[in-house]
Amino acid sequence: MATRRSRLELVFDILLAIQNKGGKIKPTHLMYKSNLSHKLLNGYLEELLQKELILLEEEAVKKKKRPMKVVRITDKGLSFLAEFRRMREFTDAFGL
Amino acid sequence: MFRLFFTPGWFNGYDLLFDSIGLVVALLIAAYSWRVYQLHQENRFKYFSLAFLLVSISFGFKIFTSGVLYYFPVRETVAQVLRPAAGAGLKYSALFYRAGFFLQMASMLGAWLLIFLISQKSRARLTKFYEVSQIGLFVYLVLLISVVSNFEYVVFYLTSSVLLALIVLNYYKNYLTTGKVNALMVLTAFLFILAGNLFLVFVFMESSFYAVGELFMLVGFLLLLYTYRKVIRR
Repeated sequence: MATRRSRLELVFDILLAIQNKGGKIKPTHLMYKSNLSHKLLNGYLEELLQKELILLEEEAVKKKKRPMKVVRITDKGLSFLAEFRRMREFTDAFGL
Repeated sequence: MFRLFFTPGWFNGYDLLFDSIGLVVALLIAAYSWRVYQLHQENRFKYFSLAFLLVSISFGFKIFTSGVLYYFPVRETVAQVLRPAAGAGLKYSALFYRAGFFLQMASMLGAWLLIFLISQKSRARLTKFYEVSQIGLFVYLVLLISVVSNFEYVVFYLTSSVLLALIVLNYYKNYLTTGKVNALMVLTAFLFILAGNLFLVFVFMESSFYAVGELFMLVGFLLLLYTYRKVIRR
């Protein structure tokens, strides 16, 4: 059975999902990719916005009147991903 | 003059250099583990940091005590400083060496014990009370062994070897689970440290085993440094 993801692992999964989509992603897609409920994801997104790890932007789409909302990863978010990977390597190596 | 280990004269000083390298490596790992703790806020990282801090403290005590023992000018200076407390004839100078070696042994055994407990995957099932009582019992044993080892150094290296063998077993399991090269490097590093300790057990038979043991320990710590650098530079 898979173990529960920690808060930090959830943050990592959210940021990784954005990075894997080229740095920006639609909130609905992010919900599916990170395997979180709408309510939970919104809570995490608010926290990530406050910590400046992501940005919420609006993009104009052809044939549509209303602009589309996208979540974009910041440089600080990318640094966090790199740091988290290093820490995971460290914990794997030392069996922590 | 008080002499706990049967060290070959020609090796005096080199061992201090080797131990200094071990001290720096242990400090680096302790600092990084503390950084991981600050991000994750999980106790295992705090304990791991404490364990490597204890390793560096142990090396620190060994370097200081052996340094005083080896080098005449240092010994004279320390003798001058300690004279008011130790008496004119420095009757209690053996006490100083015993205290130094006791602190070295207690912190090193404590460190190995902590690393063994942390590297055990079954810790999740332990209740807080069980964990505390287990740690209390082990701390008592570590202190007892450290006192006894001051009279028979073999006890220290033998206990150290047993704990290291258990750590190696845990890291072997960890390597089988993760299958990562870094996990294999850590396993190999602890194998070298274990081999070093085993050589040190038999120093009473052949004093040059002390140099071999220290060399193996150095290789172990250098491997830990290599793994640490590899992880950090990613």
